[in-house]
Amino acid sequence: MRSSIFPTDLHMNGHSRLLRIQRASGALRVLRGLFAPMLLAPVIACGPAPAPPAADALQGRLGLTGSSTVAPLAAEIAKRFEAQHPEVRIDVQTGGSSRGIADARSGIADIGLVSRALVGTEQSDLQAHPIARDGIAMIVHASNPVPQLNADQVRALYRGQWRNWQQAGGPDLEVSVVNKAQGRSTLDLFLEHFGLQSREIRPAVVIGDNEQGIKTVAGNAGAIGYVSVGSAEYAAASGVPIRLLALDAIQASVDSVRQQRYPLARPLNLVTRGTPGGLAAAFIAYAQSPAVHDLVRGLYFVPLE
Amino acid sequence: MRETATPLAAWGATAAVLAGALWMLIDVLWRGAPGLSMGFLLEAPRDAGRAGGVAPILLSTIWILAVALAAALPLGLATAIWLSESTLQRPRLQRAVRLSLDMLAGVPSIVFGLFGNAVFAVALGMGLSILSGGLTLACMALPIIIRTAEEGLRALPPELRLQAAALGLRRSRIVLGLLLPAALPALLAGTLLGIGRALAETAALIFTSGYVDRAPQSWLDSGRALSVHIYDLSMNVPGGEHNAYTAALVLMALIVAINAATQAAARHWRRALSWQDPAAGDR
Repeated sequence: MRSSIFPTDLHMNGHSRLLRIQRASGALRVLRGLFAPMLLAPVIACGPAPAPPAADALQGRLGLTGSSTVAPLAAEIAKRFEAQHPEVRIDVQTGGSSRGIADARSGIADIGLVSRALVGTEQSDLQAHPIARDGIAMIVHASNPVPQLNADQVRALYRGQWRNWQQAGGPDLEVSVVNKAQGRSTLDLFLEHFGLQSREIRPAVVIGDNEQGIKTVAGNAGAIGYVSVGSAEYAAASGVPIRLLALDAIQASVDSVRQQRYPLARPLNLVTRGTPGGLAAAFIAYAQSPAVHDLVRGLYFVPLE
Repeated sequence: MRETATPLAAWGATAAVLAGALWMLIDVLWRGAPGLSMGFLLEAPRDAGRAGGVAPILLSTIWILAVALAAALPLGLATAIWLSESTLQRPRLQRAVRLSLDMLAGVPSIVFGLFGNAVFAVALGMGLSILSGGLTLACMALPIIIRTAEEGLRALPPELRLQAAALGLRRSRIVLGLLLPAALPALLAGTLLGIGRALAETAALIFTSGYVDRAPQSWLDSGRALSVHIYDLSMNVPGGEHNAYTAALVLMALIVAINAATQAAARHWRRALSWQDPAAGDR
């Protein structure tokens, strides 16, 4: 390091050194030249005239913030809405359900994204507009005869207290617990529903997405895992050897999630302060319409009726 | 015994570091390369990022970085010069500045994110925007840039300053024309470290530059950075892993490209500054 910046010709005469100093400041001029356009670029980019107004009555901007689970869905719905209404711009931001609540309350956002039902005081000043439900199915290998589990049994299995399926009324088979990777919204819902702590779980396999979870369980007769109900039902119907367990005597299915009977599920809500009007109301109506059901299913959520 | 143990330990540590870096590189290449195409670089993301490409996200990333550098470099250089070259030495104040810079360098990025959100986005009314994100990253990169630049300036031989002063050069000429170019390698190293920290940033950007994946029209628009996109694809979008890896590959390529460009610029400038004797033996 030192050698690279140490001029070795310290005895050079003054005249030539002066010349070189002038050349050196030339390099700085180049630097200045590089940065000036960068500073100007955004100003120039503001320049072009806006597109001619369409016949469409809807226009303006809408801000959505909140749950990182809902955000990808909301962003996709927003893109389709924007395509139909060119004068509308919708910005979707994430940061968690609590931020969705806070920003909708304070008015920073027009609509909050919240991946749970409203509770307590939230119900008095906020309105929830459900756009989909997120449900998790407990899955086992198709050859596993255990018909259903209750919450205590799931806890015992995931805490590693039960190591053999005989303890749950099944065959003499070692239990292989499949868990989701840290930070997944499905993991959060699973942990919260069963009151489990992440460090209590002794997983044999840690998986990332639904597809991987289904493959893992399909390839291991003693495995138990959990994936979003839509992807599990689709896989089981298309012949993958997995079975969706009933939980607390209620069969896991897209229907039971939609009908709000199945317990391991949560609503995905758009939240507004008071009754929404104008653009926000139009967007919420669109997000609740069948026109976006393919987007809801695409992210493995369950569309509402 | 000790004679062989020490080199063995040194070699072992080196091998472990290299293996770790190589493993990561190969993993990202292996899983990311199949999805990489011109289309991935030129298209907008579709289907929550599982289809399409990263063009607007790449654009936002570069804009955020440009804002960060445009803010951090002049400020950082000025502070470094003040710390090492100022004739108005105020040891107490300078020590306090150095201490706070070192502390700032260790602050977790999420704190910068919340700070940037509170100050730039809300208090200064910039909203979630390229500008807010860039300025937040500038705050994060500043300590690194200032401290490496200051060390670089301090490492210059004192004769340089004395001779220049003896020639009757003005103080500003000495600093701008002589010392800064001579300390260029250190300045570049600090800048590169700062860029690295900025490009890798996710937590600070979610709350400042935001999540919007459309191409920014101005620097007051929200724009999703590559790192935020990678995080979202791998954490919140089921089936997003493949494109997360491809986006990670693009981010790595961007960092390598910036590194290479900076090195090339450094070589060019070094050649222009001929008193940097090539016989000195550095790279």
